[in-house]
Amino acid sequence: MNGYGINPRKASLAMLAQRLLALCVCFCCAANGYTDHWSFAPRMQPQPPRFTEGAQRAWVRTNVDAFVLARLLEKGLKPAPPADRRTLIRRLSFDFTGLPPTPKEISAFVEDPAADAYERLVERLLASPHYGERWAQHWLDVVRYAESEGFEYDNYLPGMWRYRDYVIRSFNDDKPYDRFLTEQLAGDLLKDEGGRMKDELVPADSSFILPPSSFHVAAGFHRLGPVRRNVGNQNVAFSRNEVLTEMTDSVGMVFLGLTVGCARCHDHRFDDFTQVDYYRLQAFLAGTQEHNVILADAKTKAAWEAVAAPLQKKITDLKRSITTAKGTDKERLQSELKAVQSKLPTPLPSLCSVRDVDTERTEIHVLRRGMPEKKGKRVEPGFPTQLSPLAGRASDGPADPSLARPANKGRVAPTIGKTPRTALAQWLAHPDHPLTARVMVNRVWHYHFSRGLVSTPNDFGVNGSGASHPELLDYLANEFVRQGMRLKPLHRMIALSSTYQQASVHQHVDAAAARVKDPDNRLYWHFPRRRLSAEELRDAMLTAAGRLNLKAGGPSVVIPLQKDLVDLLYDPAQWKVTADVREHDRRSIYLIAKRNLRPPFGQVFDQPDLQTSCPRRESSTHALQALELLNGDLANRLAEAFAKRLEQEAGAKDPARVVDRAFLITTGRPASVAERERCVAFLRRQPAREFALAMFNLNAFLYVD
Amino acid sequence: MLNLTQSRRDFLRRSLCGFGSLALLALLHEEQARAQAHDPLAPRPPHLPNAKAKSVIFLFMAGGPSHLETFDPKPLLNRLHGERRPTEFGEARYQQITGDARLLGSARRFARHGQSGTEVSDLFPHMATCVDDIAVLRSCHGDMVVHSAAQYELFGGRTVPGFPSMGSWVVYCLGSESRALPAYVVLPDPQGALEAGQPMYMHGFLPAVYQPTMLRSGPQPVRNLDLPPGVTLSQRRETIRLIEDLNAASLPPGDEELSARIRSYELAFRMQAEAPRLFDLSGETRPTLDMYGVGAESTDDYGRRCLLARRLVENGVRFITVVSGGGPANMQWDAHHDIEENHVRMAAKVDRPIAALLRDLKQRGLLESTLVVWGGEFGRSPEAQAGRGRDHHNLGFSMWLAGGGVKGGQTIGATDAIGLHAVEERIHFRDLHTTILHQLGLDQDRLNYLHLGRQERLTLVHGRVIPGIA
Repeated sequence: MNGYGINPRKASLAMLAQRLLALCVCFCCAANGYTDHWSFAPRMQPQPPRFTEGAQRAWVRTNVDAFVLARLLEKGLKPAPPADRRTLIRRLSFDFTGLPPTPKEISAFVEDPAADAYERLVERLLASPHYGERWAQHWLDVVRYAESEGFEYDNYLPGMWRYRDYVIRSFNDDKPYDRFLTEQLAGDLLKDEGGRMKDELVPADSSFILPPSSFHVAAGFHRLGPVRRNVGNQNVAFSRNEVLTEMTDSVGMVFLGLTVGCARCHDHRFDDFTQVDYYRLQAFLAGTQEHNVILADAKTKAAWEAVAAPLQKKITDLKRSITTAKGTDKERLQSELKAVQSKLPTPLPSLCSVRDVDTERTEIHVLRRGMPEKKGKRVEPGFPTQLSPLAGRASDGPADPSLARPANKGRVAPTIGKTPRTALAQWLAHPDHPLTARVMVNRVWHYHFSRGLVSTPNDFGVNGSGASHPELLDYLANEFVRQGMRLKPLHRMIALSSTYQQASVHQHVDAAAARVKDPDNRLYWHFPRRRLSAEELRDAMLTAAGRLNLKAGGPSVVIPLQKDLVDLLYDPAQWKVTADVREHDRRSIYLIAKRNLRPPFGQVFDQPDLQTSCPRRESSTHALQALELLNGDLANRLAEAFAKRLEQEAGAKDPARVVDRAFLITTGRPASVAERERCVAFLRRQPAREFALAMFNLNAFLYVD
Repeated sequence: MLNLTQSRRDFLRRSLCGFGSLALLALLHEEQARAQAHDPLAPRPPHLPNAKAKSVIFLFMAGGPSHLETFDPKPLLNRLHGERRPTEFGEARYQQITGDARLLGSARRFARHGQSGTEVSDLFPHMATCVDDIAVLRSCHGDMVVHSAAQYELFGGRTVPGFPSMGSWVVYCLGSESRALPAYVVLPDPQGALEAGQPMYMHGFLPAVYQPTMLRSGPQPVRNLDLPPGVTLSQRRETIRLIEDLNAASLPPGDEELSARIRSYELAFRMQAEAPRLFDLSGETRPTLDMYGVGAESTDDYGRRCLLARRLVENGVRFITVVSGGGPANMQWDAHHDIEENHVRMAAKVDRPIAALLRDLKQRGLLESTLVVWGGEFGRSPEAQAGRGRDHHNLGFSMWLAGGGVKGGQTIGATDAIGLHAVEERIHFRDLHTTILHQLGLDQDRLNYLHLGRQERLTLVHGRVIPGIA
């Protein structure tokens, strides 16, 4: 029983949700001795089920299938037939690169006689530089990546785009996940091991005061939350608490897959123990302060300061005079201030990172109701009780190894020394950590199948969904760890499976009956169709129009928006459109992520709001989307370009060829006879631009089967 | 429910006559019942019986209007003008002014109005004539004393961005009564944006269908309703027919999601055809335009927007925010430097239009079903800033409610004798939210959405319905 007089094991989730609203339920339950919540327990060592029947054995291509098939058979469900090659290449291309396959790629694959054509396609896509661009977007969603601070000023975070590039590079390099998380949690504390940024701003031979490395960029992770800054009286403790809350909650959601975020709330009825866990986690970050690393050598920096310092002094003086001045005097001083400010040299390039400052370490107290003025007892960094000490594999396990659930024997958590964040990273990166690997493999599964084995990827707590296939989840996590926490082997295991290669629901021989048994397809009796994300949709339209600029990396692009939209910014001058128009056609991941102004195209198609972690995108359907694709500026401009391309490639005189080409480019397949007839008739009466626009509005374009 | 189906069928038939195809008709017939469940904007019944309000108009006075100059007279404050705040009133934390500030009396004259005798200052002579429909709330308070965070709390119940605003919550729960108009509309002040920016109005983690439509000033208020240059309506009708035919032809039977997408094109077309008429005020009579102050310099803009709000309500729009103030502080109600100069100017823009809105709604029988909310993200300090200005003040300030089942002609709650702290019937933003929801027939506990493992609500902490409000 817990402090609320209910037994969490028996209480319904709804009841718990209500009683423990806004409470980090998982921690609460942990604190109350709810020790066997599955996700806190060590991973099982499940063995893939074996099949003797011929067709079943043939269906099992990777061990993923064995686990999936076992559950299907249990329920009397049959998998869908395999999807055809056109469907598969379109599915794989969007899934791995976020881009449609080209007509050339499609025909090459469709006509490839080799037995390993599919395997080679998967390998090609995994090796594509666009793989990182696609999968980085998923990660950026989870960490609520944005390049401005939000709130009133919404200032740009200098050089934050480097973090985006760092993530892309990490995915492309298939960086081991333990390394990836360590760099983000404690990159600023790592020794530079040759991971310097490949960047023209940092010449290899320059003498930096503090050599910036990609690790500093990675540690920018801690800077990604919205920050409230205000002029006037400062409530330092309150503001610091806001920052610490953002950082702590982010670590919880992103790496632990636990919703621990509560400290800001006002009616937490934490019992002491649970709060202690939360604040001990926060204490790892107590010394962490924002830090912008200047990207210039000592000489450049000195030269900059020689110009700037006298101006800065003048500004300070003027500001002081202004506070006491009156009337015309005040106005004169104000205009003088503006003049001086405009003379300041362009700030030196810098990047957003953090550092631990021992002298500025915040004393962490348990805060009653999360309020900084209601201090309880002081706490030091410590690992959550139920997850520590780390699980170890007991040597004397039960006879059936597939059921082995090893005891927490003999494992000691890392020592928390002078750099607590490093210890936190070590603790999370430990191969036996019960959550780290499970949470990450579940995210990967989620992006492949539009739903995780745990359908709440940021919540592995008791309020979360639980796993549809617990053995499969643990099996994947074990394999992930065994293969050095690299993602690409995991992708392979999934993409090469029969489960992944199934056709979507409408090809299933007995969909109606299957739907009754498993309406939500939780057991994967067909491949789940999905709508393209906002980014994929824009990139695919640019591709069709022949306009996509595939340049990789670098500062973010600010696209032109209508004035009335820019005016929704408190300071519209912040929206400085990128001068080079070719940049405006770059992939969506390179467009600026500004918290207080998101281009409507993304907003309409369920792009996340950049304020809180988004582990799972919504996929809504509404009239504003239709209006965007019918009347929107982007859709119409690109339809025009698409129409021109079609004329060039298929010839204006042969509408049937135009139609086939258009279908191939947008849907990956040629038009059916009926479709061709209908479209040709349309083209006789209407301009090609209208036809091209219609193609952007086809369900066969908007969805991936 | 029967009625709903009926009207839906009618609507489908009507819209199909316009531009639909036969394939669609068959499909829609079969899919109708299921489609209802698949339509995120389908009107849904409220939780509670006998709800009065169907729509909300939020007259948002951005920047924080002073309670001391509007609805909360403080004779003692005038007597203590120029003195330090007596210690017995307790502590306050302001954004700008510090401990040595002096109290600032109000230059406004207050009088009792209407049968109720509600006190209103001479800043609002027109609003004063409507007091018998208004419930003044004198004891409002919030948690933050800076704009952005206070605005987030007022709109979304949290002091941080990223949570759905009231409008999104309400549409999420009640759906839309209008098929030709967006369900949740914001009419920003064309002079500029606010500190909290667009995230304050947003749908947060709710699906994009619940986002607000930000109306622009000018002849084409809704984005993407107008055809691109060089495209004719008949041409576009052909294009939509092509889209529908192709999508319907490849539509697998029983596919709810794709059917919904096909229907969204009908709605889009309907919006395109009907909405512009609603935004066109030229059909309004001269007396109506005059009543709202349309054509008079100071009231033209806010008057037009209030009139538009009435037209939107008439056509079933669920939640409308009409913002007064935008851009730099003094273009809002954010009177740091001179409370008189700022408030006289700001009040002159909104007083007549707001009174006209209340009167107009009432004479059309819409006031009973429309909850009108007035107020800012906080009030202003009893102490002076920069001599004649007032700083932000979140510890006690006034708002008001009218219509939507609210009992008018009353004043609820009180601040202390200098207007520093709300002391009687304290009303937190969460109580305001709970009350707005309650008037719409919504229970704060049942209005929730699973996000990141929590059932999120508009009211993080339970609010209470303001006692005596209805």
